[in-house]
Amino acid sequence: MVQAVQSTIQFPYKRSLGPVVGAFMTALTDRRIIGIRSGDRVIVPPLEWDPVTAEELAHDFVDVGPAGRVTSWSWVASPTAQHPLDHPFAFALVQLDGADTSFLHAVDAGSIDAMSTGMRVAPRWRAARIGHITDIEAFVPGEEPVVPADDGGPVAEPVTMMDYNASITYTLPVTPNQQRAEEANEQGRFLGLQCPVCGRTYTGGRGYCPVDSVPLGPDNEVELPQRGTITNYTIITPVQYPGQTETEPFARVHVWLDDTGVVLGYQPLLDTPNDEVRIGMRVSAVWASEAELKDLASNAEGRLLGWMPTGEPDVDDPDLVDRIQ
Amino acid sequence: MPDIDPIALIGWSVSPMVRSTDKTEAQMLLEVITGAVENAGITRREVDFTCAGSCDYVAGQAFSFVQNIDAIGAWPPKRDSHVEMDGAWAMYEAWLRLQLGDIDVAVAMGSGRSSTADPALIYPMEMDPYYLAPLGTDAASFAALQARALIDAGKVTERQMAEVAARARRDATGNPNAQVSGDFDVDTLLAEDYVRSPLRRHDLPPITDGACAVVIARADKARELCDNPVWISGFAHYSELHYPGMRDLTASPSTTLAAKAAGLEEAPVEVAELQSAFTHEEPLLVEALGLAPDVPVNPSGGPLAANPIMATGLVRIAEAATEIRDRGRQRTLAHSTSGPCLQQNLVCVLEGGSK
Repeated sequence: MVQAVQSTIQFPYKRSLGPVVGAFMTALTDRRIIGIRSGDRVIVPPLEWDPVTAEELAHDFVDVGPAGRVTSWSWVASPTAQHPLDHPFAFALVQLDGADTSFLHAVDAGSIDAMSTGMRVAPRWRAARIGHITDIEAFVPGEEPVVPADDGGPVAEPVTMMDYNASITYTLPVTPNQQRAEEANEQGRFLGLQCPVCGRTYTGGRGYCPVDSVPLGPDNEVELPQRGTITNYTIITPVQYPGQTETEPFARVHVWLDDTGVVLGYQPLLDTPNDEVRIGMRVSAVWASEAELKDLASNAEGRLLGWMPTGEPDVDDPDLVDRIQ
Repeated sequence: MPDIDPIALIGWSVSPMVRSTDKTEAQMLLEVITGAVENAGITRREVDFTCAGSCDYVAGQAFSFVQNIDAIGAWPPKRDSHVEMDGAWAMYEAWLRLQLGDIDVAVAMGSGRSSTADPALIYPMEMDPYYLAPLGTDAASFAALQARALIDAGKVTERQMAEVAARARRDATGNPNAQVSGDFDVDTLLAEDYVRSPLRRHDLPPITDGACAVVIARADKARELCDNPVWISGFAHYSELHYPGMRDLTASPSTTLAAKAAGLEEAPVEVAELQSAFTHEEPLLVEALGLAPDVPVNPSGGPLAANPIMATGLVRIAEAATEIRDRGRQRTLAHSTSGPCLQQNLVCVLEGGSK
């Protein structure tokens, strides 16, 4: 049975609107829907360029609607979390009065039986409008816009920015190789996978040799040494972004494991002042004890705490610095 | 087509099509690239250029295509490119690249693991971020708006759409890679509830994990490597504007333009593999392409049998090529599409024989 890891990614975008989309969003806060003239046509929602000729359009805006005619529609029986309504509704293309194109939005009709091509609809306005496409909650059947009793009125300043927030939960497989690598880590071991063609060794449960493009599996496993040499390092001055627990500058080192081609990148270095970190330093792996593990709810390296200087003489090799992976 | 150096498909490979694979995207690609180069009788070392089509939002990871490069065997370093589009467009770029004339062999690929998350939540993020994405406009909702427009215009009926689904699933029984196949009764299909009216479950494609890779080569190299290259006789794509409310949804002018640019009208084709992921798109595309009524459409089952997003179009090209190399056809057509309501369309005309 293959394990999976689930993660939710937030996509909090802030977008600048520009002179045309911004004017449209600002008008929405005033309970107006505007289009833009392009020759004899009125395009809704307004674009900055003519959709056919690609010519830049003068900012000649015109009020349309607020009511219009449904030119196509689809009933959404089970809305998604991103849909504008949480109960069954229709997506519809609405040709607003005075417009030559159709505007895509939701129609809150109550029932699929209330929907038909050609039906008339009007907007139901949100009370607190901010300059966003969902300032129109939905269109509703009929000619008259619906204005809430506690209507907040238009914004004082033109709208120039908008937020778009999406959240998606992803499920990705943890391959058998990755599982075995994690199990080895839990036992305080480094598991390597050696390519049968080129002999290069990989860590982290890689599924294939990226040079020779052959799959790797249990037959290719090798035990890796716990000692190595620092080939490169950086001192990081932490920025206090969410999740950053470090407050003082700290070292991250690259460790070339003895007698292998493996370089582990960005490893923590333990019990060493930053001004003593140097290329050529000999180090050995330090794993968390059972007691320490309990405090390591979310160590990115698993059980590996980091690397401790062994006290052996430094390796004097000017080419070490080139070994970064 | 302008006079250009002939380029041919010399090998290809299509992965099994499944609802959810245990493999990573790079592993899926590793297997189809190995399959395609072996099919072409070469090794990765003989590949001069690679181009991949995939989507970070589908993969759930920024720069996911960087990991996919591992599947190429990029050592010594290779010329590589990526398009955030179906692999059919990756092949288009590879086809253009070979026409520079300095290199001979390219691999194009497409891959997608739609099992990562709910496609209905991913798709809106790829839409116009001001007017469409904040409404959560998913692919099936867009498709339903186009289906309704076609029904209202008298161009298709819900029964005809169910018949397309039944035929696709029946044809797919002969396709070992198909995800959905079998014999289905049209009346039974029509008795099901709508998912997005007027679309029922059978009008929608399955959610699929899969990948495809093809090897293309310039004429001399193709003849040297392959006894029966499949020639790309025409290749073109056109785009319409994005916002569906500003288009006539009952026509597909970009498909017609691409077909003309690819020389489709110069001779009849014997088979058409279309990226009609929704049933109503098939009659619309057949009309836009001007296909004769007796031309078999999607004998593989098409996207209604397996829809590996980002590879679905490239699979159409592989299937159309298989019709020539393995089934004795002389001239076939493959189509790919991108964007809401068939916004952008690609046409690839393939021919057998010598060039």
